[in-house]
Amino acid sequence: MPLVELKDITKVYGTLIANDKVSLELNKGEILAVVGENGAGKSTLMKIMYGLEQPTSGDIYVNGEKQRFHDPLDAIGKGIGMVQQHFMLIEQFTVAENIVYSKEPRKGMFFDRTAAIRITEELCEKYGLYIDPREKVKNCPVGLQQRIEILKVLYQEAEILIFDEPSAVLTPQETNQLLDTIRTLAGMGKSIILITHKLNEVFAVADRVVVMRHGQVVGNMPIKETNFDELSFLMVGRQLTNTVIPEVEKGAVCLEVNDLHVTGAGSKEAVDGLSMHVDRGEIVGIAGVSGNGQSELIRAITGLLPAESGSVKINGIEVTNLPPRDIRDSGLSCIPEDRYLWGCAREATLEETCIMYLHNKEPLSTGGWLHKKKIHSFVSETLEDFDVRYTSVFQKMGELSGGNAQKVVLAREVMQHSPFLIAAEPTRGLDIGAIEYVHHALLEKKKAGDCVLLVSSELSEVMSLSDRIYVMYDGRIAGEFTRENAVEESLGLLMMGGKLNEA
Amino acid sequence: MKRKDTGRLAALLNTVSLPVIATILGLLLGALIMFLSGHDPLKVYSVMFDKSFINVNYLNQTLTKATPVIMCGISGAVAWRAGHINLGIEGQMVCGGITAIIIGLYMPGPAFLVTLCACVGACAAGALYALIPTFLQDKSHVSLIMVTLMMNYIANYLSTYLVSFPLKDTSSVNANQTMFIDDSLKFTRLFSNGQLSTGFILSVLTVIAVYLVMNYTSFGYESKMSGFNPNFAKYGGVRERRVMYLTMALSGAIAGFAGFVEVFGTKYRYSSNMIASSGYAWTGLMASLVGQYNPFAILFYSIFFSGLTIGGQALQRDFGIPLQIADIITSSIMLFVSINIGIHLFRAGKKQRSEKKEETGNKTPAKEAA
Amino acid sequence: MTSAYLISIINSILRMTTPILFATLGCLLCNKVNVFNIALEGQMLIAAFAAISVNYYTHSILLSMLAGVAAGGIVGFIVGVFQVKLKAKDMIVGTSMNLLVSSFTSYMLYVLFATRGSLTGNGMVGLHKIPNFPESMPVLYGMFKNLTYLDVFGYIAAVLIFIFLYRTVPGFHVMSVGLNKEATRSLGTKVDMTQILAVTMSGILCGLGGVALCMGNVVIFTEGMSAGRGYMAMAASSLAGAHPLGAILSSLFFGTAVASSIALQSYINGQITLSFPYIMTILIMAVSGYIKYRRENRHHIRKGKMK
Repeated sequence: MPLVELKDITKVYGTLIANDKVSLELNKGEILAVVGENGAGKSTLMKIMYGLEQPTSGDIYVNGEKQRFHDPLDAIGKGIGMVQQHFMLIEQFTVAENIVYSKEPRKGMFFDRTAAIRITEELCEKYGLYIDPREKVKNCPVGLQQRIEILKVLYQEAEILIFDEPSAVLTPQETNQLLDTIRTLAGMGKSIILITHKLNEVFAVADRVVVMRHGQVVGNMPIKETNFDELSFLMVGRQLTNTVIPEVEKGAVCLEVNDLHVTGAGSKEAVDGLSMHVDRGEIVGIAGVSGNGQSELIRAITGLLPAESGSVKINGIEVTNLPPRDIRDSGLSCIPEDRYLWGCAREATLEETCIMYLHNKEPLSTGGWLHKKKIHSFVSETLEDFDVRYTSVFQKMGELSGGNAQKVVLAREVMQHSPFLIAAEPTRGLDIGAIEYVHHALLEKKKAGDCVLLVSSELSEVMSLSDRIYVMYDGRIAGEFTRENAVEESLGLLMMGGKLNEA
Repeated sequence: MKRKDTGRLAALLNTVSLPVIATILGLLLGALIMFLSGHDPLKVYSVMFDKSFINVNYLNQTLTKATPVIMCGISGAVAWRAGHINLGIEGQMVCGGITAIIIGLYMPGPAFLVTLCACVGACAAGALYALIPTFLQDKSHVSLIMVTLMMNYIANYLSTYLVSFPLKDTSSVNANQTMFIDDSLKFTRLFSNGQLSTGFILSVLTVIAVYLVMNYTSFGYESKMSGFNPNFAKYGGVRERRVMYLTMALSGAIAGFAGFVEVFGTKYRYSSNMIASSGYAWTGLMASLVGQYNPFAILFYSIFFSGLTIGGQALQRDFGIPLQIADIITSSIMLFVSINIGIHLFRAGKKQRSEKKEETGNKTPAKEAA
Repeated sequence: MTSAYLISIINSILRMTTPILFATLGCLLCNKVNVFNIALEGQMLIAAFAAISVNYYTHSILLSMLAGVAAGGIVGFIVGVFQVKLKAKDMIVGTSMNLLVSSFTSYMLYVLFATRGSLTGNGMVGLHKIPNFPESMPVLYGMFKNLTYLDVFGYIAAVLIFIFLYRTVPGFHVMSVGLNKEATRSLGTKVDMTQILAVTMSGILCGLGGVALCMGNVVIFTEGMSAGRGYMAMAASSLAGAHPLGAILSSLFFGTAVASSIALQSYINGQITLSFPYIMTILIMAVSGYIKYRRENRHHIRKGKMK
């Protein structure tokens, strides 16, 4: 009898079917990988299993008994724990305090912190996951924070551990340690579900793999009976159309970065002596596990984060540490990595969103006065051109779907016709249709003789679009490839901090 | 083109309906309180509205009262919509008023020049007084809210000191107030009876001017976007600190201007506590919030709330109902508006959440948002 | 300055601190659950009014206190529900609540007592005074003269709140709500309820502050008698880093500011000295804000260099 069984789970959000009669079973001591593209319905399924969402129909069985989880506490009660992608930690508290939360050791009515530390130490010992219980969580690196999450779940006496995209935020070493941990836990009899879209992890640890696409299970097999190609074919559902890359004559240097140093959020030198260049007529990709300084690099180029030293030149103009507007004036536009943080305001209308930066340029304004009519027709045309689905230019950005909002941001930046475009994670969280649209727009930009710096943690995206690829690791360029000599294995190795053998 | 117009209309209807519902609820609450204190709400309201909006003499008073309220509301809207919570409008108005009376009383020269100087001086004083908290926020990250609030008290006490001692009209024994300004400086009255002066026209002009600045200039656009999402503004090339100082200076200048108009247009002198006790700034702020920062809505609500106050004074005379009933109604309208806005945001929040689900768990290009 | 004068100033500081201390404690509870409550001012004022009204009719200290505490608590509860459940914007709720309370108390003052401005006399009773040192010890006697039980209880309340927050399990949960609402919710704590309870509690504490204000030394209600103390409490709480024991010190500072503004009236014009507490509030906030900002940045730089 399987330990957990999901039977015909269907989840409908409005008109969207996120899960369509999904069935799946998990045996004791097994590591089950659930793979699929963004939007395939993996996360929804796991949220249902963990009680964060209620299924529209279908049942959950644990140890053969039918269950109904109203909230995570019910699921925890049945031994199901989840290590979430976004850590649910209270950073200002210590490790021990976080681990014992909601099941605190008490002395009368008081919180027995000494016992909490002892409990944590025992837990660390038992599972071989060591960490200082007295340290504040905010002082722990991401890998250790994930370890705290795991210990927290183990302290709740979970028998079934769900890992939701656990390696998304980890460095390669941390990922390896995590995979070791997962193996150890399975060896101790815990059952594990690993949600991921990274197939190398699947082959590293999983016993069995379930492939999801468009909300349905399209494959379920022991790992030994399948291979990389089959899984990727199942995930995408078709051979990826080979994007036709237009041949464009390479032009002059457009972006030149020299020995750039940027301090990130307090803790470290996020960009550490980085040099690179982007020429006209090419798309240059930056590949790397997110958190290796890409975000700081972009913000330093666009003027949102001060550079400690080094220089950034755009079209031969020195722009290091200039205000964002001046940098844009020298010929830069940028699709930011987080569209709601930097790219727009939810309360702003489509029209207001579209004219940002252009609002004090001819022909939309003269001498500080906005030309409403010109703005109106410009915005309508732009939105039509970029196939944004909207009802009114006075609609608020927050009312658009993620894909449409991204298209608005993309439209605005492309319509500036600047020679240099930064596209940071331009397809994050989008569905396949929208992704293809974005890719198409970037290639068009190249065709026009402009250049694009594409920063993405999706290796496949970088490889399919770029003429040249930099691999970024720990704030530095770990390697440079051309389209011709880019091999996934070598890129992957460099992304994880490895070294290529000198041949 | 057609569909875009309906979109704007729908948005407008949405903005209008919230405060209207809140207003009805506020009036109902007022009726309840009157009923509980033993009065017939219908009768009271009919007198209240008659002696504020319908009867011409009272309408004159209402509009006189509304003159500074409108400008305070505009001042608040300028700052708040840009994300700068300026609660110091009262203090800024006091500064403007005091500056105006000093120039009005002591500057020699032709009336036109004195008036102009008083106007410019008052605006400058209000702007400077608003820039102090802005500077503190910029340099040492002190809450603008707290500092602007505290500065109301300071302005009030210091102005009271000024009119009680150095500027005091020694001929009045009981009251602490200055002398009257010269007749040539006083604003022209619009009607033979009633205090309504050209100041009202100035405040309507302020409304129009600010409407134009806010909607038709890149400064207005930049300050609005900074209010929505400062990161977005910065990323898009807005010089956000410059916009912050300019916005606060403009807000303070309008408040100072209100002080000038009050002195030169209505009171002709400065008596202690005259601005704080009348609550112009707070009524204006409420009009601004209820009108959701739209200058014309602020004009409307300023007149409406001022009318309630004037009507409230009549109630005090006719029924012995304390005039604070007007403030109770006004502030509860604002309270109701706050929930309405809340429900509004709540809906938006729900949408965002469902959208998030969509992004993680959706398979079709989403088009449910519309 | 004679020593007797100094002693009387210390006595005045102790009395002036109490209402601010209670409000500061209320404010820090709101800080701990990350609710920006600007309605402290209104919570104090309504409590003072309710206490005096009940005092007027019943001449009972206990009932008056209960009424004050209940009134403050109710306003706090409303503010909490509006902000937490109905997602109303904190600034709008707080500002309108303060204005509503201020007009409502003036309205009721006339309706109930047919008077304007203030209400006093009619045999209303003040809070019980603590037993004092004998007059043979003039220094201590002078310092603790006319202090009420509430003046002492303020400090006890601060210690109790400290123990609750930093030593007990529920206090641990309360603090976690403010630090990371999402995480706390996912761990099963009733976040909304905790926030509303904390704001209600702030109303109750401000209620005690309001009672101390109107039934302490002189038994009187005056329109708008909270006079910005609620706002000062917000400054005091932020100065104390929202720590209950720190709140004692910062409240004493603001108590000193208020007391000295009264004491200095014999030397400088009263209207000017009355503005001192507010000027001092701004100055202390600016200085502490500047230091905090510098320190945080230096921390970043130092850590950066270590790497």
